[in-house]
Amino acid sequence: MATYLINRCPALLAALFVAFTAPVFAQSDSGTESDGAAVAERVEDLKKKVIRLNRDLFILEEDLLFPANTQVAVFLSVDTGKFLKLDAVKLKVDDEIVASHLYTERQVTALERGGMQRLYVGNLKTGNHQITAFVEGIGPDERPYKQAASLEFEKGTGTAALEIRVEDRSSNYQPSVSIVEWE
Amino acid sequence: MGLKVSKPFRGRPVLFTGALLWLMMSAPAQAEEAQPERAKDLRYGWALYEYHQGNAFEALTQLAVAREQGGIEGHGDHPALVEGGLMLSWGMTREASRLFTQLLREDGEGSTLSPDVRNQAWFYLGKVFYLEGEPTLATENLARVDGDILADANHDLFREWIYLRARLARMSVQSGNKAELATLEGQLEEGDIWSLYLQYNSAVSALDDGDAASAEAALSDLVATVEQTGNSAESDAERRGLLDRARLTLARLLLRDNRFDDALEVLGAMPLDGVFSDQALFDYAVAAAGQGRHERALDALESLSGRELFLPWRQQVPFARAYVLEQMGEPERALPAFEQAANHYETRIGELSGVRNRLSEESLMAQLSFLRDGDGVLTDSYGRLRVEPVDFGLAEVLATEAFQQALSELNELYRMQSFIAERQSRFESFRTMLETREQQRQIRISQTRRALEDQQADQWRQLHQGFRESVSAALSEDDAEFFMTTEQKALRAKLDGVEKTLAGLPDDETTASQRETYRRMRAYFDWWIADDFGVNRWATQRQLRDLDREMERLQAQRLRVEALMAEDTRHLDLAHRIATSERELAALGEEVSEALDSARQILLNQVDRMLSAQQEELKGYLVASRHAQARLADQLFRASTSAGVGDE
Repeated sequence: MATYLINRCPALLAALFVAFTAPVFAQSDSGTESDGAAVAERVEDLKKKVIRLNRDLFILEEDLLFPANTQVAVFLSVDTGKFLKLDAVKLKVDDEIVASHLYTERQVTALERGGMQRLYVGNLKTGNHQITAFVEGIGPDERPYKQAASLEFEKGTGTAALEIRVEDRSSNYQPSVSIVEWE
Repeated sequence: MGLKVSKPFRGRPVLFTGALLWLMMSAPAQAEEAQPERAKDLRYGWALYEYHQGNAFEALTQLAVAREQGGIEGHGDHPALVEGGLMLSWGMTREASRLFTQLLREDGEGSTLSPDVRNQAWFYLGKVFYLEGEPTLATENLARVDGDILADANHDLFREWIYLRARLARMSVQSGNKAELATLEGQLEEGDIWSLYLQYNSAVSALDDGDAASAEAALSDLVATVEQTGNSAESDAERRGLLDRARLTLARLLLRDNRFDDALEVLGAMPLDGVFSDQALFDYAVAAAGQGRHERALDALESLSGRELFLPWRQQVPFARAYVLEQMGEPERALPAFEQAANHYETRIGELSGVRNRLSEESLMAQLSFLRDGDGVLTDSYGRLRVEPVDFGLAEVLATEAFQQALSELNELYRMQSFIAERQSRFESFRTMLETREQQRQIRISQTRRALEDQQADQWRQLHQGFRESVSAALSEDDAEFFMTTEQKALRAKLDGVEKTLAGLPDDETTASQRETYRRMRAYFDWWIADDFGVNRWATQRQLRDLDREMERLQAQRLRVEALMAEDTRHLDLAHRIATSERELAALGEEVSEALDSARQILLNQVDRMLSAQQEELKGYLVASRHAQARLADQLFRASTSAGVGDE
């Protein structure tokens, strides 16, 4: 049939032949590809600019809102997370709740893989302060688990960075929560 | 051209990110530097937190912030490796290539990455170049991979590595790489999915070279191999899909040579419910018609005519059906069939014209259904948007690399535009923050001024000056009394009192002993003052020096406070940065807007070209149908005329 059609109808030849052999013989459109490549390069260049600008804006915002001499940042990390499946955390600074967070599955996984969440950033005057973290989750034997940790620290004239560490304590198969100050 | 079934390499390598991080995290035992269990740098930990959630942009921003603020400590080259992976996942392949090339120095000297990590990173870098159509660079980087290490660390990657090298070797086979190609192909087990893909692509390459015999042999071998190695660890669906594809291609090759029996045999083995079953059915009709078995061809075409779903390739069915009827010697049935086909094509051509005239981004997007979740449009493992056509006429163009790429770029550009709009809205609050900061500063300035006034600094300065002058005069006059201590002054006052008392008393014997005592005391006092003069003078001068220093410090502080109150460089710096960023953001917004126009136009042009090609194809069928109509009408008319003549 194809041969017959080919002999009789050249226009049909092209159409049928393409249909017959498309997966094998289809040609790429080089014009389209070069246009696409140009746009891709342009988009990549724009992405670089966007990252740089976002970086500048991020630093600018921090400088405006949280100057280095008063800035306090609190991070949270989870080490392995075998004995505690993190669910929520609440943070108090000088008896005032300043942050609370409910974790999604994805966030918990990110923490268990070594990520650190910046839970809070704020300003504090120089001097002594107290910070308390309340951690909730599912502990050993799938039971609801709550633990708190507290730290008194002295805020100096530089940026203060604290870390809430949720760790597995293999000695008693329990999770442990502690707060440490970064130098 | 060539690789048409290269399923793993059709898009941007989002998959690499996970793989890269996997290789980074999973090889602590072999690392030269033990992997830190926890981040040693808060900013790096934060970047990882974003990274593991798939927030490439946020993670890249944190890494950029860290770099700007002094870099990340304690993690060697790992942050750069993560950054490269993030860039790949965010479609920044060129930049990622540059970073990897810089990071993975060929000899690995000075790198804190383990040989295994470097090895796998070379693999991904080579793969990126392969995707970018840079065979020389791809070959160069893949050649740096140590096959033994890769095979031990990740056998799947090792197989893929062989596949890539074989593909590259085939590209340069004309320059004498046949031996290398054979060696590489021999390293994959028979029935390995990568080996099967290689076989299929070999057939495609042979067809490209016009070597139909080799292509046929390769496809036949491939079909036989897949049939013999049915129980494989690879996905059955994938193998079945490849098998059907190979059979269809083989059948079309046979049809091209009018080998209808062979084609029918191949097509007959294809399942009725496969992805390519309808196309196989059409080919079956072609083969049956070629054999002269028109009833079977008609049955197949009737089945296809009943399909409701629109697909561009199926447009040939109405014409083919009428054509087969004509071949069956049934012009009375063929004539209305051709007429029906012509009407169908005419209508469809009109519809396509309408679609092309109304073609816009909105109308195009209305024809696409994007899969979404809470975080936005979903993407597949290769960074493509998860999209399905509402109108299956778009399925063909949607499946093309160029369209997918353009769609993805368009989406990225819209995301950038949204980012810019969001950041622009923040500048107002930035200015408010700055104003508030300035107001607070003014309040602090007035408080400071009040405090300075309370200090009565000018009065103290005058007192200091007066004291200096007095000391200076006393020094020049060697005025011992001036330098007396408090105790001495008190004693002198007492002596003066005694002297005054004695002056009021009669100077006779009754007071003689007192006067004598007074004289002795006064003489002792004068001697004491003269004796202590040097010590007292030194003590006063020391006190004066201390006072001078304190007064200088006070003065300097006052001047500094005054200067700070007069000019706020911090405020000026922040204001300058806000203004600069705002300008840059506006310029970026314009660039994104222009890029959006280009991307949109490219996308629409692609669709329009596809629609135009469909229209041209339909016009061909329309013309052929009309010709056939005319021919058959003429034939029937002549037949009826001759029958009438016969009757008469």
